[in-house]
Amino acid sequence: MNMLSPMTAVDPILSRTEVAGLVALAARTVPPLWPLESAIAVNPLAGFEELPFHEAVAAAASRFGARQALPLAQWRALLKAGRVDEAALRRAAITRLGGLETAFANAGPDLTRVDLLMARLMHLPEPQVEAHTTQPSPAAAFLAKWCTAFFDQGQAASPMPDRELGLYRAVLALAPHDPDFRNLAGKAGRQLMLAVPRDPLEAIAEGLVAAEVEAGAEEAYLARFVAQLPGWAGHIRWRTENADPEYAAGAPATMADLLALWMLLDRAGAVPPPAQAAAAPDAGADLAAHFGLADVPWSKAFREVSAIEPAVLGHIFMEAAEINVRDAISAHLQKATLSPPQAARPDAQVVFCIDVRSEPFRRALEAQGNFATLGYAGFFGLPIALHRHGAARRNRMLPVLLAPQYDVTEAPAPGREAEARAWADAQARARRAAGLFGSAKQGAATAFATAEATGPFAGLAMAARTVAPRLARRIAAAFAPPRPEALAPQLHGEKPVFTLEEKAGYAAAMIRLTGLPLPTARLVVLAGHGGCAVNNPYAAALDCGACGGHAGGTNARILAAILNEGQVRATLLEQGLAIAEDSVFIAAEHNTTTDEMTLFDRASVPASHAQDLARLEAALAKAGQANRERRAQLLGRTADDLLTGAAHWGEVRPEWGLSGNAAFIVGERWLTEDLDLDGRAFLHSYDWRQDEDGSALTTILTAPMVVAQWINCQYLFSTLDNERYGSGDKTTQNVVGGIGVVQGNGGDLKVGLPRQSLFHDDGTPFHVPQRLITFVHAPIARVEAVVAANDILGRLFGKGWVHLVVIDPETGKARQWRRDDELAAN
Amino acid sequence: MTVAASGGLVLHRLKKIEIVIHAEDRSLVEDLLAAAKVGGWTMIRDVAGLGHGGFHQGKTIFNDRSGLVMFVGVAEEQAIAEVARGLARLFETRAGVTFLSDVEVMRSDYFAKVA
Repeated sequence: MNMLSPMTAVDPILSRTEVAGLVALAARTVPPLWPLESAIAVNPLAGFEELPFHEAVAAAASRFGARQALPLAQWRALLKAGRVDEAALRRAAITRLGGLETAFANAGPDLTRVDLLMARLMHLPEPQVEAHTTQPSPAAAFLAKWCTAFFDQGQAASPMPDRELGLYRAVLALAPHDPDFRNLAGKAGRQLMLAVPRDPLEAIAEGLVAAEVEAGAEEAYLARFVAQLPGWAGHIRWRTENADPEYAAGAPATMADLLALWMLLDRAGAVPPPAQAAAAPDAGADLAAHFGLADVPWSKAFREVSAIEPAVLGHIFMEAAEINVRDAISAHLQKATLSPPQAARPDAQVVFCIDVRSEPFRRALEAQGNFATLGYAGFFGLPIALHRHGAARRNRMLPVLLAPQYDVTEAPAPGREAEARAWADAQARARRAAGLFGSAKQGAATAFATAEATGPFAGLAMAARTVAPRLARRIAAAFAPPRPEALAPQLHGEKPVFTLEEKAGYAAAMIRLTGLPLPTARLVVLAGHGGCAVNNPYAAALDCGACGGHAGGTNARILAAILNEGQVRATLLEQGLAIAEDSVFIAAEHNTTTDEMTLFDRASVPASHAQDLARLEAALAKAGQANRERRAQLLGRTADDLLTGAAHWGEVRPEWGLSGNAAFIVGERWLTEDLDLDGRAFLHSYDWRQDEDGSALTTILTAPMVVAQWINCQYLFSTLDNERYGSGDKTTQNVVGGIGVVQGNGGDLKVGLPRQSLFHDDGTPFHVPQRLITFVHAPIARVEAVVAANDILGRLFGKGWVHLVVIDPETGKARQWRRDDELAAN
Repeated sequence: MTVAASGGLVLHRLKKIEIVIHAEDRSLVEDLLAAAKVGGWTMIRDVAGLGHGGFHQGKTIFNDRSGLVMFVGVAEEQAIAEVARGLARLFETRAGVTFLSDVEVMRSDYFAKVA
C-alpha cells in the first residue's frame, strides 16, 4: 500500500525512451557551451535555426527573456558614427514596406509610408517594453548553486561528495540538508525528495504527469527549464556531446539529470509560471505629434506604420548595415573579376587562417614586396588532438564540427633535448608551487599564515605586473626557454602518426581547397594564429576557432613538415600537383594581439634560403608594425601600448578580436587585394577553375563558412542583448569551477562574449550586429548545385541566417540568393 | 529469444533497427539507444541517398555534422520496440527514416543489455 500523499504518487504515461527523446530535443534549446580553456564561438540561437531568422529571434527572445534587437538609441549612434548609411536605411525601410509602390503610397497629408517609417527609425522615441528581469528565479539560483558544486574542476577546496552518483542523485542525497531547499520547496519538497524515482528519466515522466502537461506539449515544457539555465545546460551538452569521456568520469551528468531536478522543484510548486511578454505601446501618438497630425484622422497606412513593433525597427537598421557591406564588396568584386592579373611567381606565399584578423595583416604584408597571401582554415585540415608535454588532458586542435582522428604528442625538438628538460622541470616546479600555495591558501589552519608569509612577495609581483608588465613578462620568460623551440609535435616515433597516403591527402586538400598557385614559391609559410592576454578568462576566445580555441602554430608546423617530405611531394606529383623543387615550407604563428609573427623550426630552413627568409622576416616585422598602428587607432591607443596591454594583468580589452565581422569571401586573392576590408571579412582562397565537380566549394561552404556563421551569430547576439546572450561586464565576472564565468558571486554560467569585446567604454557598439554575407566567385550553376545537395546550406541561405551573393566569373554579374520567403512570395 | 539451428550453426533470433538521420541529430538517437539499454550499435557516416527532400550529399571532409548517418542496432525485441517508440516521438519534428527487421546472430552475448 502506498503511504504517500496523492501528490507524490503518479503513474507515468511515457516510457523511458520517449522521455529520452523529449529530453534530447528540449536540450537543443541551448547550444553546447565550451569551457574557458577551449572557448569557441557558437550561435546561442543554434536551436532555433530551423526557423526563418526573424521568427527565430522572436522565439528565442520569448524563451530566454531576451531583447530582439539592439535599442534604437544604439543604432542611431552607429548611424551618426557613419557605421550605417542613411540611404541604405531608407532602402531597407522601403523593402520592409513591400517595395516602392507601397512605400510611396500616400499615408497622410504630403506623407508617404516611408516618411513615417523613417521618422520612427531616425527621430521618434523608442516605445518602451517592460524589460525582462535578468535575475534568476530562486529555483534557478538553487540549481545553479548545486551545478557549480557538482561540475567543479578542482577549484573548490572541498569537492562535493557523491558525485559518482550523477548530478540528479547526488543533489537528491544532499539537498535535504540544504536550508535553501527547505525554504524553496517546503514540506511538499521534502515528501517528494523521498518518493521520486532515482532514475532521472522516470522522474521526468512522473513529473510531466503530475504537471498535467498535455500530449504534444512535453518538449516545450521541458525546453522552458533548459532555457532558464542556458549556461549550465550548455555545459552539460558540451560534456556529453563534445568532451573526451574521461573529462566526466567520476561525475556523470546528463540533461535528464538537470531536468529531473527542475521537475522536482516544479512538482513542489517552487517554480514560478513563465512571465508573459508585454506588448509594445502603439507609436501613433508620437508619430502624429511629430508630423503635426494631432487633429487629422489616422489613415490605414498611418496605423500600419505606427503599429510596427520596435524590434522590427532594429531589424531594418540591421538590414541597412548588411546592404552597406553587400553593395560595397559586390561592386568591387564585379569590377575586379573582369580584369584578372597576369600570374607571376611570388618571392613567398603565405597561407593565413581565414580569420577576419588575418585580412589587414595580409594587406600590410603584400604592401612590403612580391608576397602572395592565401586564406585556409587555420587547423590546416588536420583532424588532430595534441597531447602537450606535461598536460593532463589532450587538446582538440580542430573545429568542433569534427572529431579527432589522430593523436599527436609533443616531444623534445631534435637537438633541443636539454632545453626541453629544463622547460619541463620549470613547468613541474611551477605546478607544484601553485598546488602547494592553493592548498595552503584554502586550508582552514593555514590560510592566514599563508597570507602573511607570501603577502609581501605577492605585493611586489603585483606591483611589477602593474607598473612594468612587459618587464615582468621578460623576467618570467628568462627562467624557461620558449616552449616552441624546445618542443615539437612528434610525427615519426615508433608508430608514425600518418601514413604516406594520409600525409599526401592532407597536403593535396590544402592545395585543392585554396587553389594554391603552382609551382609554389621558394618559401611557403603556413601561418596559424593565437591571441595573447594575461589574467583573462576569455583568452582562448582570442585564439583560433578552427583549432578548437587554441593557437594554431602546431597544426601549421605539422603540415609544413609534411609538405617538406620528399615522398609526399612525389606522391603529389603523381596527382598532378607539382610543388617546386626549390620550395621550402615553414610554419609560423601570427599573434593577433601584438601583430608579431613567430617562425617555427627556422633551423630546418636550408642555407640556400637564408636570404629569402631574412627578406620575409623583415617584411613580416614591417607588416606587423603597420597593422599594429592600424589596430591601435581602432582601440584609441598607441601601437606601443598594445604590446603593454598583451602583458598587463588589468587589461580588459587586449584586442577587438573578431568584432566587426560581416563577410565571408570565397575566391582568389586578386579579387580583393585592392579593397580595404577593414578586418571585417573572412577570406577563403578558392579557384573555381580547379574545382569542376564543386567538391572543394562544398567543403568550404559546409565547414569553414559554418564556423564563420557561428562566430558571426555569437558576435551578433552578444551585442544585441549582452546580458542574455553575452556575458556582461568583465570587471564584475568571477571564474567558477575552472570552466566558465558568472556575474557577481553566483548564478548561471554566462554564455557569449563580454561587453568589453563588443562595446566602447562609453557604451556605444564597436561591433555592428549584422548577419554574415557570403560572396562566392564561381559559376552560378555550380553554386546552386552545391547548395541544393547540402541541407545545411539550404537552411542557412534559405531561412536568412546568412546572405549569399554569387559573382559569376565569366560575366562579372552578381546574383543574390533568394530566401525561401522571398521565393514563396512570387 | 528464439534459438534456431542451421547446418550445425547455432543462431539466435533478434530484432534489428536501422535509422537514417541527419548527422547533427546523431546524439538524439544515441540517447534513445542508451535509454533502451541497447548494448552496442554501429554508425555509418556519410550516407547518401534520395528522399523527400531530394538527393542528399554524402561526403563532406571537414564537417562530421552535415549529411546523413545510419545507425544499425541489434537487440531483443522489447529493447528495439522501446527504441522505435522513442523514435516515433523524434520523427514528429525531425527528419529521418527507420527500418525494423528480424535477424539471426551467432553470438547473442554481443547484443545483451548493458547493466
